[in-house]
Amino acid sequence: MISDITLGQFFPGKSPIHRLDPRTKIILATIFIVAVFLASNPATFLLLAITTVVLIGISRISMKVILKSIKPLVFILLFTAILNILMTKGDSAPLLSFWVIEIYTEGVARAVMMALRVIILIVGTSILLTYTTSPISLTDGLESLLSPLKLIRIPVHTFAMMMSIALRFIPTLVEETEKIMNAQKSRGADFTSGSLVKRAKALIPLLVPLFVSSFKRAEELATAMECRCYRGDKNRTKLVKLQYKGIDFVFTFIFALIFGGVICLNIIPYKFDSFGLIYDIIFYKV
Amino acid sequence: MNEILKIENLSYVYGKGTPFEKVALDNVSVSFEKGKITGLIGHTGSGKSTLVNLLNGLYKPTSGTVYLDGKDIWENPKEISKIRFKVGLVMQYPEYQLFDETVRADIGFGPRNLGLSEAEVEERVLEAARFSGIGDDLLDKSPFELSGGQKRRVAIAGIIAMRPDVLVLDEPAAGLDPRGRREILGSLRDYANRMNASVILVSHSMEDMAHYCDNVVVMNSAKVYRTGTVNEIFSDAEGLISVGLDVPMISRVAKELTSRGIALEGELYTVNGVKDAILRYVKEGKR
Repeated sequence: MISDITLGQFFPGKSPIHRLDPRTKIILATIFIVAVFLASNPATFLLLAITTVVLIGISRISMKVILKSIKPLVFILLFTAILNILMTKGDSAPLLSFWVIEIYTEGVARAVMMALRVIILIVGTSILLTYTTSPISLTDGLESLLSPLKLIRIPVHTFAMMMSIALRFIPTLVEETEKIMNAQKSRGADFTSGSLVKRAKALIPLLVPLFVSSFKRAEELATAMECRCYRGDKNRTKLVKLQYKGIDFVFTFIFALIFGGVICLNIIPYKFDSFGLIYDIIFYKV
Repeated sequence: MNEILKIENLSYVYGKGTPFEKVALDNVSVSFEKGKITGLIGHTGSGKSTLVNLLNGLYKPTSGTVYLDGKDIWENPKEISKIRFKVGLVMQYPEYQLFDETVRADIGFGPRNLGLSEAEVEERVLEAARFSGIGDDLLDKSPFELSGGQKRRVAIAGIIAMRPDVLVLDEPAAGLDPRGRREILGSLRDYANRMNASVILVSHSMEDMAHYCDNVVVMNSAKVYRTGTVNEIFSDAEGLISVGLDVPMISRVAKELTSRGIALEGELYTVNGVKDAILRYVKEGKR
């Protein structure tokens, strides 16, 4: 079912990570992403993997949920890992050689690190942001972080509002899609079998009602907002003011240490991947 | 027995294995008879809509079985779409499912999916339109031009056109004016009688239940609280109130009268029933 998708879903809770200021979380996630891309040897990966595991522990989000979020990536991970293993040529003698296939230690190492990089990246940022931050506070945080742009007349508030409305209506739209799908299935519609053309045609009974109700909903929302005198951010005050607390400084400090650790550990020479690092960043960005 | 649809020990859990896990139905058993209108009532969140979605195989039960004509509907999961032609489900606010260019084509969507010939489709469209009170002049209009009540009727006709043996309607009268309510609900009896079909009506309105149904199933927090005829169910006002429901207004009037020494007897849940009872009482009193 559509609603089984967990990637990017918020799980309410009261863990320390849930209580962090959204701005802190956005900044920490950025640091984390940069650190993951800088990582180039086993030691740094170990450090980042430990960080991720600790984050999972602190957030109290069940392993099941996290495994489920990785599941859709398994195919891509396997595919790129196999390509990496097969295509990488090393300096030393091949680990295994068979017909035209030659497997080098370097290839295996790179494949493992690439897979780790993707998994750590996805899990880490999900824990820091999407799983533990409600969409509303996420956009609040973004708006606040980007507010300097107001000086050069970029309508930050409008963009933030657009984003929160879009995020707010994703579940509604999913629910609506499911409802209409069920209604048409009840009339014998078949969305899953037949030729490509037939299947595309089968979507008409789904898309037409979906568009109609989306337009209607947009209009109703606009009217409702106007009824409450919404005029953008002019004279608008906030109900919940964002404020940095002690815990934010603690986390920022720890992350700064980890980031420093990653840079230091990277200096430890790790011969054959020094070129591969650049290669990875260019070709295997998620 | 005359039963056509039977469910046994049915349970359904939403989001199993996630933090959002929620038991929507807990070991429910109930059966529905041919030619009868069965009301399904319950507080919001009591599991009515979930039950309805299980009846035609839109949801797969977590455990338990749905029998249609004595056969498990999930016996062959690939054939589940055929069940949906036999158990017609009208969802809540069905007007949102309209999509085709004309009312005629939209009502014909179900029959066409059944694989009927164009002549047969046309015949069924006309028949269903008549059942649901859609005038011939509306058939060639776009469904988006119609009023709310008319749209609702077109959507219901779209299900009736498949001639289901079991017709399930989830709050078919929600948000309609009294006249629209009467017209839509009144046509259900007609359908049940003429097709010898079982009609299942989900509603919040006790008046509608008392007026249009033969049997009533009362749901409370994911379980069946009580089943019985309209008479049996509505004579137990305290029980209904204890599960957050109400009895028809007129039943309360009758109850107050009885508690003040005017002993009424008979069908004390419709206006006519109470009227007759009062007349009887007055006549007997004169004697």
